[in-house]
Amino acid sequence: MNHTSPSQPHPAEWPETQELLGAEERGLPAGRHEFHKEHLMAQIHDDLRTTHGTPAAPAWQRDPQRDSQRNPFLRRNVLLPAMACAVAAAVVGGFALAGGAGGNGEGKTPLATGPALTTQVGTADAKAAPELLNRISLASADTSGPTVDDGQFIYIASKVANTYPRTVDDKTTVVSEELHTRQVWQSPDGKDGWLIEPGQTSGQGITLAGEHPISAAYNSLVKLPTDPDALLKKIYQDNDPSKGVARDQAAFVAIGDLLTESYPPAKLAPALYKAAAKIPGVVAVDDAVDALGRHGVAVARLNEADGQREEWIFDKKTLAFLGERMVQAQPPEDGPIKRGTVLFTSAITERAVVDGNKQLPSQVG
Amino acid sequence: MRTRVRAGEPDAFAELFDAYAQVVYHHAFRLTADWSVAEDVMSATFMEAWRRRESVDPEGGPLRPWLLGIATNVARSHCRSNRRYRAAAAAAAEAGPASLRIPDHAEETASRVDDRRRINATLTALSSLKRAEREVLVLCLWEGMEYADVARTLRIPIGTVRSRLSRARTKLRRLAEAELGRTKRELTPRTRQVKGDRTHAIRSAEEGIR
Repeated sequence: MNHTSPSQPHPAEWPETQELLGAEERGLPAGRHEFHKEHLMAQIHDDLRTTHGTPAAPAWQRDPQRDSQRNPFLRRNVLLPAMACAVAAAVVGGFALAGGAGGNGEGKTPLATGPALTTQVGTADAKAAPELLNRISLASADTSGPTVDDGQFIYIASKVANTYPRTVDDKTTVVSEELHTRQVWQSPDGKDGWLIEPGQTSGQGITLAGEHPISAAYNSLVKLPTDPDALLKKIYQDNDPSKGVARDQAAFVAIGDLLTESYPPAKLAPALYKAAAKIPGVVAVDDAVDALGRHGVAVARLNEADGQREEWIFDKKTLAFLGERMVQAQPPEDGPIKRGTVLFTSAITERAVVDGNKQLPSQVG
Repeated sequence: MRTRVRAGEPDAFAELFDAYAQVVYHHAFRLTADWSVAEDVMSATFMEAWRRRESVDPEGGPLRPWLLGIATNVARSHCRSNRRYRAAAAAAAEAGPASLRIPDHAEETASRVDDRRRINATLTALSSLKRAEREVLVLCLWEGMEYADVARTLRIPIGTVRSRLSRARTKLRRLAEAELGRTKRELTPRTRQVKGDRTHAIRSAEEGIR
């Protein structure tokens, strides 16, 4: 049997395979490329610190379980929980929170964990959603968006925490990180940036540079249509359902990604809210608490596949965007996570345009 | 690039990830029939590549075959049994109709159905093979590798590549007609009989192994 003989041509030439090629190929779901890349780069920096013989952090500063325990199902900018007090009570004394110049060389800034964060699951009202989103859209039209020039960077600071199952000696418990600061810099084209986040990076942070632009890059937001119908159509087109996630859920999550860790242009935010109002299954939630403990109203959608509800939280009076969180709104089929668990939470604390990567707004002028 | 990867330069791995994450993801899907598992395999592949960076030959072309070899090994550990592959393929096929119910975007639906049909045909075809045959076929067909490249990537003799492909082809040949008949039926209203009993009989047998 010689592969050069006509009786055994290359498989690409077999009649039997002609139907198989050319099938649709889908990309990674929004945000996942960045998520996995961040994770890889964090691991590489961690390993390099160890293998280069730099003194490792003292044992009390390190949480050996933590490194391998990122819940792979959480999106990158997914963060978690509300009752900061519950976490704070569990913080081991002596931790230096990152964000500043602290940390130790190239190692990750340690991050304490505590009991899983929980919340009251607010009541969902599907009928109230369009009206609430309309008011949010109007309110957002009054706020000014940024203009970002080449060479400038968008800076976004948030308070975040994640919840994940941790297994020690075959015993799995659900834990939440302490609420901590996450700082992100993004170039307008989305191909350069920087991240500083305890548990993920050292105090110096890591680069987010790469060929693959982030989904919420400013330059791509500027190009999106500001007509809600055209915008929604594009979002459906760009977010093919993958992993069995229904299209409506994928579209809702995609809009969330453009609204949360991003700085949408002034004209885009109202259109995003109006587009969200047209997605089936979107509900208004009467009460939701953001990462800083502020109560607000929420726009949300339940992912029926896993019983988790993504909530965008807004100030009750001004309807300004406060943050987002993911809540286990229905009991999961199996696994250690209980209903009412806050799987991640994030409150945006600052968005600004700065003149360089890693530059803080206070350093401007 | 090989030198930088061997030296463990973080930037080299960032470039590697950007260049090949999608490629590895798709390869992993073909080997696991599950987008979610494929994502885990993709992520684990780059972690493993980082750990095994010193095993890269200093000389050679692009690192794509090296990554695909690692991905194949990782996927193997994620999806051990053929039964599991078939279950995943069936689930992936099931997920199709639910995601198609968007009346507002009807104009997209036709091409989507067509894509879905071809993905299902692919999964069905790959399901009919043994894991070892599937690995070889996927590398040849979608990656366009020559037999020698496949042998190197999977660290098996070239004769083994040929014999696995030969067995794969025999199975696909048996399946191809049935698959063709089945997909034509799906595109046609149920009330209209398309093919005679022969196709129907083959189709039933094929369904039986899913």
